[in-house]
Amino acid sequence: MSTTTIRADAAPAASAVRPPRSSRARPRSETPAMLMRFYQLLLTALVLGAWEILGRAGVIDTFFFSLPSAIGVAVWDWIASGFIFPHLWITLQEALYAFIIGTGLGLILGFLLARVRFLERLFEPFVQMFNALPRVVLAPIFLLWFGLGIESKVAFGVTLVFFIVFFNVLQGVKSVDKVLLDNARMLGATERHLIQHVVLPSALTWIFSSLHISVGFAIVGAVVGEYLGAAAGVGYVIAQAQGVFDTEGVFAGMFILMIVVLFVDLGVNRLERYLLRWRPVPGA
Amino acid sequence: MTSTETAHVPAVQLDACTKEFVTPQGGSYFAVKGIDLTVMPGKFVSIVGPTGCGKSTVLNMAAGLMAPSEGEARSFGAPVVGVNRRASYMFQQDALLPWKTVLDNVSLGLIMRGVGKKEAAAEARRWLAKVGLSNFEDRYPHQLSGGMRKRTSIAQAWIVNPDILLMDEPFSALDVQTRQIMENELLDIWQESGKAVIFITHDLDEAIALSDEVVLLSAGPASHVVARYDITLPRPRNLLEIRDDPQFVELHREIWGKLRDEVAKTYAAKAA
Repeated sequence: MSTTTIRADAAPAASAVRPPRSSRARPRSETPAMLMRFYQLLLTALVLGAWEILGRAGVIDTFFFSLPSAIGVAVWDWIASGFIFPHLWITLQEALYAFIIGTGLGLILGFLLARVRFLERLFEPFVQMFNALPRVVLAPIFLLWFGLGIESKVAFGVTLVFFIVFFNVLQGVKSVDKVLLDNARMLGATERHLIQHVVLPSALTWIFSSLHISVGFAIVGAVVGEYLGAAAGVGYVIAQAQGVFDTEGVFAGMFILMIVVLFVDLGVNRLERYLLRWRPVPGA
Repeated sequence: MTSTETAHVPAVQLDACTKEFVTPQGGSYFAVKGIDLTVMPGKFVSIVGPTGCGKSTVLNMAAGLMAPSEGEARSFGAPVVGVNRRASYMFQQDALLPWKTVLDNVSLGLIMRGVGKKEAAAEARRWLAKVGLSNFEDRYPHQLSGGMRKRTSIAQAWIVNPDILLMDEPFSALDVQTRQIMENELLDIWQESGKAVIFITHDLDEAIALSDEVVLLSAGPASHVVARYDITLPRPRNLLEIRDDPQFVELHREIWGKLRDEVAKTYAAKAA
């Protein structure tokens, strides 16, 4: 009863709100994408220009903030001399391993706990405990255990990626639509069929939707791990630059990471769009 | 089982079936109580009743998705233990797998029965042609209209050649025109098949137009069979004109008189 009254009240309210909103949106045509790109470039130029001028004028302390031109030169030097590529390669390797291992573990354990109620109840407090632990504090112990090589960074990244995937799989497997399961059962599905045709694909949507976050965290894990102790990698380069008060180096490292992560994210976008092509496009 | 053997053994038989649920508060709730239902092979039986009268529970017991708390569900003489292998089920909600194309959805039943991929696809194409979806085999369910999704569901359920079809308000989400078209198509496919159908609906017109027998359930909870009506309208039926048939009108009046009482009870219980 109460739901019908709520709905009856809500309907006129919603329709009263809608017309002005749409009439406001329609007559004003949106800025074309090309023009928007131009504005974005303009904004970038303005900010960087102001930074440069204020820096040269001495308003901004270049010791702490450097200059866009100097950072640009540093980035170019690193690329032209090839200095940055081995480091970048190490970082990406660490992130990739962390991503694969973290996702694999998260998948297996998430699946297991979602299917076996006993295990889920057994492990619940421990999972919560470890998830509550700020992951950075694990870096020192991993450095002790695995040394300064890529292993310690991978281990660190795994602890970040694992929990994201784990919780998503747990949720994904448990929230499989019961009607889909019943339908498959009626069509003759065995337990194995159910997992293959219904449970896994359903859980995969949850994993893919967390792909951006887990890829991002894999890179965070690698860089932070390197920063705390390493012999190579972009995080190590940044830490070295910081050690000698080389502000340009710190900014250049940041800039390169930013660009690389942007490209990785673009790739993930493509992959996601392909793997989830069966999903309705929101708003279409 | 041979056809002579099955001819006089009920495809579905519910014997004094009761389904009791435990409520979160620890009490118990009877969805249905003492249901008797017999559906012979080749018969089309509709179950009507007010909302919340446990129609789906009846279907789920016949499907083996739910075991009766008391009484027994039998199918072709054998007790239903676990999923009823001789039945297909068309759900009220969309039950197509959203990550499979129309073709893969339709062939799923065959694939899971161990039929080869090529053979299953060929058979699925045959069924898609039958339900008029030949040009849509590569689409995903969300790219189809509601009516097309229902057609896909019909093909998916029929492709495994079940002896029993359980249909839970399959067309309730469709608009009136599409629904009539779908009803016609369903009858066309069913007529040549000799399959038993249990069809749940809250639409009395639909029930009478399609069925050999209409079973009326009482208002829930603890709903039971109030009355049964044999529908002797001649087949094949023209669903677009059948509603003007005097026999149809007479049946409708008779059943609606009873159904109205049950609907009134449901409302009275809700208001209380």
